[in-house]
Amino acid sequence: MNTPLKALDEMIRLTSPFPESVTVKDWKATGRKVIGWFNPYIPEEIIHAAGMLPFEVTGDNEPVQTQGAEAYIYSNSCSKIRTCWQMQLDGKYNFLDGYVSSSMCDQDKRLFSLWKYYKKLPYMEILYAPRKRDEEAVQLYLADLEDFRNRFSEYRLSRIPDRDIANSIKVYNRGRELMYELYELRKRDRPPVTGTETLEVTKAAARMPRERFNELMEQLLGEIQSTGREIKKARRLMVIGSDLHNANQMAALEALDAVVVVDEMDIGIRRAWGQVDTQLPPMEALARYYVLGRPVDKHNWISDGRLEFIGDMAEQYKVDGILSEDVRFCTYNGWDKFDLKKQMEKRGIPILQIDLEYGHLAGAQVKIRADAFLEMLESRAS
Amino acid sequence: MSTSNLITAEELAGAIKMAGEGIKKKPGLMKSTARSMELVHKYVERIVTAKDKGKWVATHGTQQPLEIYEAMDVVGLFIEFWGVISDVVKLESVPEALSISASTGTPGEVCSFFRNMDGLMHAGKWPHTDFMLYATSSCDNVKAYYTLGRRYGIPSFGLERPYLPYTPKAMEHWKNEHKRLIAFLEEQTGKKLDYDRLKEAVRLSYRLTELSLEIDKLARHVPCPLSAECFGGVLIALRLMPGTQEAVDFLTALRDELQERVDNGIGAVKNERFRVLWSCFTPFWDPTLLGYMQQKYGAVSVGEVLANWRGEAKWMLDPEDPLGNLAYKTQLAPGNCQYASSEDWAENVVDQARRLKADGAIFNNNWGCKQASGMGTLVRDELLRNCSVPSVTLNVDVIDSTFVTRAEIESQLDSFFEMIETSKVYKERRNLQ
Repeated sequence: MNTPLKALDEMIRLTSPFPESVTVKDWKATGRKVIGWFNPYIPEEIIHAAGMLPFEVTGDNEPVQTQGAEAYIYSNSCSKIRTCWQMQLDGKYNFLDGYVSSSMCDQDKRLFSLWKYYKKLPYMEILYAPRKRDEEAVQLYLADLEDFRNRFSEYRLSRIPDRDIANSIKVYNRGRELMYELYELRKRDRPPVTGTETLEVTKAAARMPRERFNELMEQLLGEIQSTGREIKKARRLMVIGSDLHNANQMAALEALDAVVVVDEMDIGIRRAWGQVDTQLPPMEALARYYVLGRPVDKHNWISDGRLEFIGDMAEQYKVDGILSEDVRFCTYNGWDKFDLKKQMEKRGIPILQIDLEYGHLAGAQVKIRADAFLEMLESRAS
Repeated sequence: MSTSNLITAEELAGAIKMAGEGIKKKPGLMKSTARSMELVHKYVERIVTAKDKGKWVATHGTQQPLEIYEAMDVVGLFIEFWGVISDVVKLESVPEALSISASTGTPGEVCSFFRNMDGLMHAGKWPHTDFMLYATSSCDNVKAYYTLGRRYGIPSFGLERPYLPYTPKAMEHWKNEHKRLIAFLEEQTGKKLDYDRLKEAVRLSYRLTELSLEIDKLARHVPCPLSAECFGGVLIALRLMPGTQEAVDFLTALRDELQERVDNGIGAVKNERFRVLWSCFTPFWDPTLLGYMQQKYGAVSVGEVLANWRGEAKWMLDPEDPLGNLAYKTQLAPGNCQYASSEDWAENVVDQARRLKADGAIFNNNWGCKQASGMGTLVRDELLRNCSVPSVTLNVDVIDSTFVTRAEIESQLDSFFEMIETSKVYKERRNLQ
């Protein structure tokens, strides 16, 4: 049994209860604003530079019954969207002063529209999330970012200066660097943290002031160093597909004789990946990073890079198998399934594809399939 | 896995031709019905014979500048249409293609227009395609073009459209995307674009817009002169063959016939009881439903949101700048609201409902459409709030006839029309009190 990580416990304490946590309450108590953001094409740095708390709108470790939301969003849509809308209906997000989203997917757009129509917040913004990864896409996105910055500056009644954005970039870069270090440690034969613990870390990154997060990350890495923590499990897994915020889902998987050593989630490795170029003008640097600086994601049209990245990470982290957990009704994951399987087969990496509902614990069917998958991995190894 | 029901392009062309001949002999239909089948036949025939005529075939999605294709000897194959017309000719084809798609691992929850293509391609029954062309609008499924192109070795190009397209920067970007499309086609075909041909195609396309707006005006008449069998005519012309003389001729004839019917007081049905607006998709999965609604309830389909132009749609800004015109056209074009906010979609529907004097709206919650599933309630609420038009939501698959039973649909429609007829608003609108 490994000793609990004090820094992680503190992250969890500060971000609980979810979503209106200790941190959010303390922040609001000082009269400062909280801006919800929804998908990875929203540069938190701009919100941070405006002196507000960027807070990722998601579900969490408790499954949410979405019957109320289904009066607005039919059941043939993504359960993450329904979960978030249900939480809004239940008043859980009443602390938000604003909400920023992007056109990353059809359902994100629809959630934004619902929010704007039925529960308009003082500040609301939707950006374009480019599907291509080229210079034109950078310029297109940059123009949207500049508009965002202008409108957001009007909202806070003063221009957000370049200097403050540059400073926020440094703070966020440091956070990325620290999370990346944690990911690197997981390459060890016996990784020091579980996938469940890592997920709690990366979730906390988007729910608390990044300066405090960075301090706790430094403490966390120090603890790992000093305690010589090791997770002893027979199989190493990679989890890919949809963003799953319910850490209990991953914990259920790790209750088997396996540890998740890497992922391919927007809320996971992508959050730790790369650095915003501090030599460029800050807005341009942000645009370049958000369009080109992270691994290809599921919403990019040309998904070759995504499939390659998954394969490369699987090899670098020496995984025994990949678990693709796809929230039902995700169009993007749907179209990658066939080629993903073929490409991983070509690389000799076993892959299990599971469709599930966002936020809900893996049911018996999923457990049976995961169990059988691990058995298959074991027989391959022996 | 059975492939015997899958329909090929050649079979489609033959079946449409026969259907067109049959329609000519059928009494009581609008004359334009046969003409619309001739246009569809021409469209499919162009695809079948493209290679022999030294032309290229582009499988494509919505919001494409087909006028550029026309000027470059590229024949368009609109994937949504392929599913729709397959249903008209052979209802068993689409479900079979969908099963094949599922067998490849494509989930059943993505759009069936695309799964139909996926299944047909896997079975080798999709028409020969030289390239895949697509745009950000309308939905996330356009990722399938590149994905399937990669799988089958077909080059592809996507036009990236800004989400909020009206700023000068966004317009400039979108126009530049058209230039990049031309560069892609020139590279693929080895032919330079003839700008004079493009100007002519754009001129014809603009004429088509004008005609469709004239038809929209005629459809406002009570009783509505547009009968179920010709309901899709405008959509066919606009979405399949803009930039062609054939499409202009067809809409001219349709416009004239509707005018004649208005002049003579001829409506789609003798007793028009309800005017129906389709607020999300036409019921393509059941080609007989519109006719049935006319007959049983006296419910005439007066419009569908995906055939709606914004305002007066004056997109011809400068005849000497065909690309600028085309870029602007997209912002006003039918179906453009699909790649926009739910409020924008609702605004389009409300405009139409007012203009066409709708009594009720039918929202097809198409199983694979994530655009639709997230906005039905908002569209319903806007219709009620702004013009007291009630809605019913049908849970369907837009082209899969096996998804829902006809009995279930009929039962919902029975209740819906009964509810409208007994409502105060309806009685006031129809001066029945």
